[in-house]
Amino acid sequence: MTKKNYISAAICLAVSVAIMISTSINFLAAREVPMPKEGPSVVEVKMLSDWFDGLKDTNGDTPVYVLKGEKEGGSALVLGGTHANEPSGYMSAFTFIETAVVEAGTIYVIPYTNHSAMTHNDPGEGNLQYFTLQTKSGERTFRFGSRATNPIDQWPDPDVYVHYPSNQQLSGSETRNINRGYPGRADGNLTERMAYGVAELIRAENVGITFDLHEASPEYPVIHATVAHQDAMDIASEGCINLLLSGIEMSLEVSPTNFHGLTHRELGDYTDTMAILMETANASQGRLRGATTREQVLGGIDRFYVINEGLDMLYVPYDETGHPIEERCGRHLQGVYEYIAAYNNANPDDAILYSGVPGYAELFLNADPAALGGAHLGSFLM
Amino acid sequence: MITIIYRLLVVYVIGLVGWNLFTEKKLTAQMNCAMVLIPLVLRALMIK
Repeated sequence: MTKKNYISAAICLAVSVAIMISTSINFLAAREVPMPKEGPSVVEVKMLSDWFDGLKDTNGDTPVYVLKGEKEGGSALVLGGTHANEPSGYMSAFTFIETAVVEAGTIYVIPYTNHSAMTHNDPGEGNLQYFTLQTKSGERTFRFGSRATNPIDQWPDPDVYVHYPSNQQLSGSETRNINRGYPGRADGNLTERMAYGVAELIRAENVGITFDLHEASPEYPVIHATVAHQDAMDIASEGCINLLLSGIEMSLEVSPTNFHGLTHRELGDYTDTMAILMETANASQGRLRGATTREQVLGGIDRFYVINEGLDMLYVPYDETGHPIEERCGRHLQGVYEYIAAYNNANPDDAILYSGVPGYAELFLNADPAALGGAHLGSFLM
Repeated sequence: MITIIYRLLVVYVIGLVGWNLFTEKKLTAQMNCAMVLIPLVLRALMIK
């Protein structure tokens, strides 16, 4: 080996090490996940491992915000961040925690149901790592994670994922999707243990109604939709009618009995809760989109979806104004409100009463259009 | 256990690639080795 080769190799190695260091700083920063501030009704912040200690000291353990009213009542659970790349799910949870004033009953809110998924993202999708919002206390940073558990925490993926206990077979990568892992198992992989922890919380606290908040691509048929377990259909039907009266187009579907692992199927089957899942539309989830930008993630704006709307390929209307985060969070939060109201009608002795959470009108319909796409949502956050 | 074996294998491959980096005569091959080292080292350290 010549001296010249040695020098060029050393230079290449130095450049490589510099890239390693800068990317390591970036990836390690993703493990610091921002948490909600404690709103007026938060009485305690527990960890999911308080209900299932199999999650202790793992990246699957996640904070559970307990919001309690002065009066006795029923209990509800709000799951945000089931998929950490669907921001209206966890941003609705943040908004709920920071604004809700609970008068009766107890509401448990998990902002990051799959905490591990929030600690990485999908660089292959060209996704954002984070976005910022101007809030009452100044600029705050929020992460944009991945659909699935961090492979650092759970690997390898099998070729075929076999769901427990149904033995349903799915693509191997779905083994890290918590919304294919319910009801979970105590001795399963990390994702199954997270799902088991959620089911244990529901069983231990007698949670009467559970919400799972999502986003989906505009070309996905189950969009602007609620999917409810068959036991929750009476409540969901009543709530859905009230949502339609509020000006929210919402379809209602019963959870398929042969599609396993999802909250609306398994939490309804394996616990006594009324399991409800809601979907909103966001271009950043879709395959027809352009570059994944902040404008797309928060504003829901994408010119390729406008073109596809003209080709009649979408299941939601799509124009230049997109589907801003205020509309998506407004749909979720109004949905939670209306379904809980319907639950209260069916269970007057176990009523869950709260106020203060902005709904669809405050977040979207009555907002200044220029402030949509994050600024208006930020104005409600602490 | 499988993770430990995996990481040992990754470290072994890092050693081979590093050896190749300093024995290659062509600059492009050296650059290639240096690029390949990046994901391997991040994986060995369980950073990404």
